[in-house]
Amino acid sequence: MIKVKAINTGVADNNPDVEPFDVRPILAEGTDPFEAIMRRAEAVPENGRLVIDAPFNPSPLRRVMAGKGFSSRACKLAEGHWRVDFNRDGGADWQHTAEAEVLPEGALVWREEDGVHIDVRKLSPPAPMVAILRLLDRLEETVTVVVHHERVPHFLFPELAERRWRVTRMAEDFVNVRLWLDREGA
Amino acid sequence: MFPGGVPMGAQDRLQPPSIPYRFFASALLFHAAAWVLLLIGADELPGFRGGMGAVPAALHLITLGVLAMTALGAAFQLLPVATRHPLGPVWACRLTWALFVPGVVLFAAGLITVKPMFLHGGATLTAVGLGLGVLLIGRNLVRVADLPGVTWHTWIAVASAAALLLLGLALAGDVGVGFLPDRGAVAAAHAILAAYGFMGNLAMGFSTILVPMFVLGPNVPSQTGQRTAVLSGLGLVLAVGGVLAGLGWLAALGGVAGLAAVGLHLHALSMVLKKRMRKRLEPFFRLIFPAWGMLVLSLVLGIALALGAPVAPLWGFALVFGWLLTFVTALLQRIMPFLASMHSSAGGKPARLSELTARRPLDIHAACHGAALVLVLAGIAFDVPLLVRGGAVSGLGGAIAFWVFAALLARRYQLHMTSHS
Repeated sequence: MIKVKAINTGVADNNPDVEPFDVRPILAEGTDPFEAIMRRAEAVPENGRLVIDAPFNPSPLRRVMAGKGFSSRACKLAEGHWRVDFNRDGGADWQHTAEAEVLPEGALVWREEDGVHIDVRKLSPPAPMVAILRLLDRLEETVTVVVHHERVPHFLFPELAERRWRVTRMAEDFVNVRLWLDREGA
Repeated sequence: MFPGGVPMGAQDRLQPPSIPYRFFASALLFHAAAWVLLLIGADELPGFRGGMGAVPAALHLITLGVLAMTALGAAFQLLPVATRHPLGPVWACRLTWALFVPGVVLFAAGLITVKPMFLHGGATLTAVGLGLGVLLIGRNLVRVADLPGVTWHTWIAVASAAALLLLGLALAGDVGVGFLPDRGAVAAAHAILAAYGFMGNLAMGFSTILVPMFVLGPNVPSQTGQRTAVLSGLGLVLAVGGVLAGLGWLAALGGVAGLAAVGLHLHALSMVLKKRMRKRLEPFFRLIFPAWGMLVLSLVLGIALALGAPVAPLWGFALVFGWLLTFVTALLQRIMPFLASMHSSAGGKPARLSELTARRPLDIHAACHGAALVLVLAGIAFDVPLLVRGGAVSGLGGAIAFWVFAALLARRYQLHMTSHS
């Protein structure tokens, strides 16, 4: 587990005037902002910055951007408001500056006050299911697991039942389905 | 929304349980009926060269009644969940079943009684029912941009279904009229498109999703799925073209391309199994492995047949009963409790697979089915109808054991839902 470096704003050292690109209104309209972000990312010069405001920590986007040479740092500014600072510095350290662990399938796991979070968005099936079950199988403590998915994982439910885990709550937004999982009887 | 339930937007993509299970229940009835017909036609099977009677009726009860029936039920349930796009109105799924089931019964009756009226009526109902089902699947697939490894195979299956329906209608219409210049070649092309083109590609496409999901392994790379689809499509074109043109070597070349596709497909799945998270393979794999073996055997026999070897009945049995029936019953015994658990979870009352699955009937089915395959293959190879008869009885025993499994599953599901209400 690696320590987090939280940032206060989207202000960059070498470009203090960088304006955050707020994708929340785009998502609210039911449109995936991925293409728009990619277009902006292509225009960022070496050692330049891109700041995104999103309603959640966009871990899949951060993985994709790391592949394009961007390090990233994220912080939660308010409920439903995250700011992510991308720096085009090669992207080698992006995982090491986040308070997260990456499972073999590429899922991101981190802890928050309400439990252990796992983000499996943008992974190809059945990697999301495998990653979630891998996490559940190794958890010994009684803890809530919050899954960030891009679909309702119907195929996961029989496996959860077999392991005596159950979905206690579910919230569905556009490309962001969250499930709260608890052990039976917990 | 009740705690733990599924939001309605997502639940919309889950068909009512009655949709897949009506197809599965019909498939189980046709499964037993097919073994009964094979028992009746045991004397004809070793030297079978085509025509009417109990043997082709048994064959079509398996291909249409069990394989296509199960494929429709499974696709109607699994596709919208996997692709995240709605399949179509529920009434259309029900209509597919309502047309298809009597169509299969009537068509089998026509093959047994050699009455053109039954044959033509059954073929028409079957074609319309299957055509509607394939249309629903195709309508779902056109909206899918990802999962190319699955969709390419499924598109080949859809195209094959359209072609095999046309050829099937031509064959049925030819009875009593005789307008086809080479009925045997058309029948062979129809068989290749049905078994390898339609069912084979559905099996290959869905396997790339289902096998990794059931063993908790890595996904099959999309590129591999695309390559196997291209090879499979090439093999089909060559084999069907060769058969229709009377060029055995061309048909054999198609078989070689099919073998290459299967080799690549099985290699990819073996990599999935090697890297799986669930170390202990589930019991349904005791049928999956022999089914894969039978698939390879059927292709080798098909190539030999194309080059002039007199192995038609052996090829047909290894292909339909050996590979496809074994594979489909393996998947059915895993999918039926899986879907029941999925539906109970969607209703906020998750039932465990281990509670829903009755193991003993499945053990009996596996033993009986394995014995049936060995006995019938030996009976055909050595021209001993008694062995075929013994195999058919054993197969029937397996089919009845499967009924018991399904009945216990339904009972346990009902008890679970009632006790948690």
